[in-house]
Amino acid sequence: MKNKQRLWVFSAAATLAAAFSFLAQSQTPAPAGNAQAKGVGLYRNQAAPAAGVAPKLADGTPDLSGVWLGGGGSDADIANPASLKPGDKVLMLPWAEELVSKRLSKQDPEANCLPAGIPRGSPYPWRIVQTPTHYFILFEGNIHSYRQIFMNAKHPDDPDPTWYGHSVGRWEGNTLVVDTVGFNDKFWFDYKGHPHTEKLHTVERYTRTDLGHMSIEVTIDDPGAYKQPFTTVGRATLMPGAELLEYICQENNQDLEKLEGPARGPGGR
Amino acid sequence: MKAESRTAVALTVLVTLALPLSAHHSGAAEFDANKKIDLNGIVTKVEWTNPHAHFYMDVTDASGKVTNWNLELASPNVLVRNGWSRHSLKEGDKVNVTGSRAKDNSNLGTAAVITLPDGRRLTFLAADNEK
Repeated sequence: MKNKQRLWVFSAAATLAAAFSFLAQSQTPAPAGNAQAKGVGLYRNQAAPAAGVAPKLADGTPDLSGVWLGGGGSDADIANPASLKPGDKVLMLPWAEELVSKRLSKQDPEANCLPAGIPRGSPYPWRIVQTPTHYFILFEGNIHSYRQIFMNAKHPDDPDPTWYGHSVGRWEGNTLVVDTVGFNDKFWFDYKGHPHTEKLHTVERYTRTDLGHMSIEVTIDDPGAYKQPFTTVGRATLMPGAELLEYICQENNQDLEKLEGPARGPGGR
Repeated sequence: MKAESRTAVALTVLVTLALPLSAHHSGAAEFDANKKIDLNGIVTKVEWTNPHAHFYMDVTDASGKVTNWNLELASPNVLVRNGWSRHSLKEGDKVNVTGSRAKDNSNLGTAAVITLPDGRRLTFLAADNEK
């Protein structure tokens, strides 16, 4: 595939991921990165980020702070080649393939207002907060939760398995590298139900490429469920001036009892 | 990219946009894009809640029988960023609603487009021309 064509596929995938399959009707998301345009993802009144260079903190550390939208892999189907590093493949072990074939939509932890884990995204913004010792990722949704990244720290020898695992961060040049272990086996990578085990190890690489954009690559290594590691590629867009809003998923989750059929993407595939 | 690949991507986009879908579950598992609804009635309640806002409306048929419908919208955080407010729709409003019905044929649907007598048009996702 030629570069231009690959870019087209990436753009289509990014648009899909950002719009998250909501009814588009007459609204077409404005192209990200155009300072004259309005709209980021499905938020049509959101001002698009201006052009500019990626900022740095006073001590020279890249400044990732702000409210962002997007990133991660395809939340519809993590095996979608459009959101994988070129050439990478998602090859499940037989037990995992069998499990995916049996999973039901109503079993999806996300539909049950439980954490989406890493790297499953949502159509809702998130914020990074940097302190000298801890970085925090605050999620507006799917559940109103947060991740902690312990900077320049080590993993415990035997961490208790958790939804977001134990994350340690370090800088490699302008890239924030987040290494996470200690996951439980409960979240799904996507609507299709791609599973993982407690052997999951993720390495996220966050690079603010300019003022308004951040590339996010996530290498997923789980020898308990997959034949080989694979890397998702995505891009987040800054939402200038935006603030996170409350989103308490458990409040009125009427949908769960109505969900029918096998696990599948938001549009039914 | 070969033409068929481009077609496949385009079809994916179309299929994916066929229903006003949720951020937290497969909309296709709950609603049937082929079961269109076109309802006229009076709003009886608005729930400005997550993971979806809902409103309820009484629909009176030709025989005078009244049925209360439950209509689903996007979540408030999405709606307010797209021009809705919690006051956009209120109890007593006379509305026309088009959308898709739940697969189980209950009186539940997604509200794709809501039209008010004064011409205001609201959608599952946005206020199109809020005054």
